[in-house]
Amino acid sequence: MTTTTTIVTQGRRIRRRVTWGAVFGWICLGIAIAISILPFYWVLRTSLSMNSALAANSSSLLPVEFNLGAFARVFGLQSTEEALAQGGSGAEINFWQYLLNSTIFATLTTAGAVFFSSMAAYAFARLRWKHRDLVFGLFLATVLVPPIFTALPNFLLIKNLGLLGTMFGMILPYIFMTPFAIFFMRQFFLNMSREVEEAAMIDGASQWRIFMQVVLPNAAAPLATLALLTFMGQWNEYFWPLLVSDESTRVLTVGLGTFKSQSPQGAPDWSGLMAATLVSAVPVLILFAVFGKRIVNSIGFSGLK
Amino acid sequence: MSRMKKIAAGTVAVLSVAALGGCAGGDDPNTIDYWLWDANQLPGYRQCAADFNAANPDLTVKVTQLGWDDYWGKLTNGMVAENAPDVFTNHLSKYPDYLRFEQLVPLDDTEVDFDRYADGLADLWVGQDGQRYGVPKDWDTIALFYNRDMLSDAGISEDEMAELTWNAEDGGTLEDVIAHLTIDSAGVRGDEEGFDKNDVEVYGMGLANSGSGMGQAEWSWFTGTTGWTHTNENPWGDHYNYDDERFQSAIAWWAGLIDKGYVPRLETTVGASMPDNFGAGKAAINSHGSWMIGQYASYDGIDLGIAPTPIGPEGERASMFNGLADSIWVGTDNLEGSKKWVEYLGSPACQDVIGDQGVVFPAILSSAERAVAAYEERGLDVSAFTEHVTDGTTFLFPITANAAQIDGIMKPAMDSILTGQADVGSLTDANTQVNRLFEDAGEDAADD
Amino acid sequence: MTTSTIVLGRRGATRDGGVRTRRTRSDIKIALLFIAPALIGLILFYFVPTIRGLYLSFTEYSVLDDPTWVGTANYERLAQDPLFWNALGVTVQYVVINIVLQTAIALGLALLMQHVARSTAVRGMLLMPYLMANVIAALLWFWMLDYQLGIVNNIIEWLGLPRVAFFGSAEWAIPTQALINTWRHMGYTALLLFAGLQAIPGTVYEAAKLDGANPFQTFGRITLPLLRPVIALVLVLTVTGSFQVFDTVAVTTQGGPVNASRVIQYYIFQKAFTQLEFGYASALAMILFIILAIVAFVQMKLLRGNESDLA
Repeated sequence: MTTTTTIVTQGRRIRRRVTWGAVFGWICLGIAIAISILPFYWVLRTSLSMNSALAANSSSLLPVEFNLGAFARVFGLQSTEEALAQGGSGAEINFWQYLLNSTIFATLTTAGAVFFSSMAAYAFARLRWKHRDLVFGLFLATVLVPPIFTALPNFLLIKNLGLLGTMFGMILPYIFMTPFAIFFMRQFFLNMSREVEEAAMIDGASQWRIFMQVVLPNAAAPLATLALLTFMGQWNEYFWPLLVSDESTRVLTVGLGTFKSQSPQGAPDWSGLMAATLVSAVPVLILFAVFGKRIVNSIGFSGLK
Repeated sequence: MSRMKKIAAGTVAVLSVAALGGCAGGDDPNTIDYWLWDANQLPGYRQCAADFNAANPDLTVKVTQLGWDDYWGKLTNGMVAENAPDVFTNHLSKYPDYLRFEQLVPLDDTEVDFDRYADGLADLWVGQDGQRYGVPKDWDTIALFYNRDMLSDAGISEDEMAELTWNAEDGGTLEDVIAHLTIDSAGVRGDEEGFDKNDVEVYGMGLANSGSGMGQAEWSWFTGTTGWTHTNENPWGDHYNYDDERFQSAIAWWAGLIDKGYVPRLETTVGASMPDNFGAGKAAINSHGSWMIGQYASYDGIDLGIAPTPIGPEGERASMFNGLADSIWVGTDNLEGSKKWVEYLGSPACQDVIGDQGVVFPAILSSAERAVAAYEERGLDVSAFTEHVTDGTTFLFPITANAAQIDGIMKPAMDSILTGQADVGSLTDANTQVNRLFEDAGEDAADD
Repeated sequence: MTTSTIVLGRRGATRDGGVRTRRTRSDIKIALLFIAPALIGLILFYFVPTIRGLYLSFTEYSVLDDPTWVGTANYERLAQDPLFWNALGVTVQYVVINIVLQTAIALGLALLMQHVARSTAVRGMLLMPYLMANVIAALLWFWMLDYQLGIVNNIIEWLGLPRVAFFGSAEWAIPTQALINTWRHMGYTALLLFAGLQAIPGTVYEAAKLDGANPFQTFGRITLPLLRPVIALVLVLTVTGSFQVFDTVAVTTQGGPVNASRVIQYYIFQKAFTQLEFGYASALAMILFIILAIVAFVQMKLLRGNESDLA
């Protein structure tokens, strides 16, 4: 905003120069926004098209032979014969089951990770104990561990426990903590004002009670943000659920991948695939519509010292 | 805040119960899971499942179809994760590995009459220990699907098409026909002056993929006519012959067709479908298997013709003979039920249903005849496929161990030849790598 | 990648944990209680797998059988495995293209947002691709870049250029993956950099203007250096993240054509789950881990990321 004030006070000549720059800037920004958003329109247009007609009219901007068959396929409302007739995949996609599984997976892991990570973060931020920063560093270091490296042995562990294909087995590695959550909450706790805590301490409350009844409620805003971000991240998980899920516990992302390859010896069922993609994206889009501002504002590095 | 907390806590509690309670495996022993990969066969097998359920009310069969690309990965994953299907369609190239890992149930004590199947089919599924591991389901051979209209426009008679010849030096009449059927966007044919190979509108022959190590539909129908075989013996060979000059010169000829512009480039096949391209009029001839007859016949506006594969330098045709079978996974939770289902699948009752659908040739001879009849009713003459069986010009699908590893070596090798990144000499190198797999295994066995 | 806030904390004198009421005894007992669940997670799902992975890398293990000890055989095989070196090469190629493209575009976008439009709406729209799962982005572009039917190729043809087999040709396979990843992350990375730009006090810019600096000088001598810690962190995160590309490859090319997109994580996955060679796959994963650790270490050292030029 400093820039604008300068323009006004320095007269017309400068203003004209900045205007050209601003126009160029707006064009660039516009292109970037278009590239970010237009593909979604294209997905919509394709999902509302008749699959067998797509080949002929691949450039038309509007849906080709508008019909909802693709969505019917995704929701399991079309029989195999009808699907094959429309040029679609005769495969089954158990959309509601996948949606449920994704919801369960994301919610449980988020709830657990956020809560347990907050506890740990509090210990790192407010409590004094030997080796505290070393242990924190260890948690920090896990960010660098490639997922595949722990995924293989974790898969074996879940298998040995007999939990393969169960939701319980799938949430287990994520439910205890995520490194990011610990950092995020620790940062907040470090910056939190101590007055209410001190008051409670003088009243003789135990650390646990202080945490649960004073600190957490105070941290409602960052907790909510963290929960949101974690939820979205877990919703989009692909690799681990791919390894561990079976038909009954499959999540949306893995289901999408399966849908792509289940085509009758032919090219992918494009309209069905795009419909499935759209449907998988909708929950996240809803979350974004409701909580958009909070999400956007949460991105950044805070506390650079 | 406390009300939101209560709501949040409540939701988590409910979901926890849902997670821990409902989804622990959820496999009902009285449901038999059956997997297959051919979506065209889905309706037929669903019918069989329904009939089976009518005859065995306490057993339900759940038929699941997974695309070929995913099928084997998911199956293997399932075995590792111990939730593989009870019964599944098995393939000759893959089943040796499952045998090695002891994932298949021997089927000798089932009530299947192994003599009523087409010759040799049942023996394919006998393991090295002498026990049977698959109940034959269907068989297939390879032929050339062609576009009759394009043929007549090009002035080629169907008789000519039915008596093609081939050799690796000049491609025989096969290459002549392919060249003549290729048309560039200016209307110039592939064997005429001024043909622009970079701007082709209709290809003489289509391309699905490089065929990896087997080339069942892609190239085995001409390499098989040279006297070359994939392995030293079959089944259960342990030495591959990709370094053989006959094989390499045959592949060099095939790759040469791409250079000449008669066959599409490999990179254009990703995400595309060779049958669909045929249906869109982009190729005149496709070499493909009998399981695709229904698909090719379904394209609107294409007058379909089927010709047998060409006669090779030794005076005979050749076609790979493949037979699918159904196998039972060793970790099935209902062995008796699975056996019943497998018996039913191998019985005339089910195979007749499949035959009548006219999508594949069932393994039982009488059912196969019904399939031929079903095709004829649709105006399709499938003798190009059946004559390989009657004339004895088939050769078995190679059955060896290490199938997955071999595919991992051969697919990139064949791909790079088709894209021109390597020449056929690189196959010798690949062959060494492939054979090394068997030497190592031999050493391990010797150490035991 | 869900990381969006990183602490670069340095304990200053006023920042050690604990309350001012001079408690000198250690809170270790309570602390253990508080970190117990997280510690369980750390040990069970990070430490134990590391040890087990290390053990497995010295074995041959098909999972359907028992593991057999083979000593360093897997590592020897690895050194001579052309597919391994291919996978590394392909992954490095991907990382380089991805980072260069992404950072450049994100920086540009961040500057644009700083000077042209700071509204939440703009930021939100740029963020949308990031919200989608990797597989969604991959499938979306798989359709749009299709050789026969994709809209992008239709536009290319309309412009008179030959069609491009984005996923089918060996030259384009990895750059296409990088482009998809850039598309998905450019808004997000831009927001990270944007937040960093916000942290630079306006007074610095005013001082520069008084001294007569033109925009380029301002950018090069003031903005960039002050943004260095943020850029450093962004680079570390994006490089580490890029090395772990898997989802998009698994859903589109599955390593093809001809190994052109067989990135290291996908190769490991194939070895483990398709070819049932868990021992060898573990060895590969071990090497990847070591490489990533070295890369991150080198990066932080080179970029001096934990120091800031701001007061």
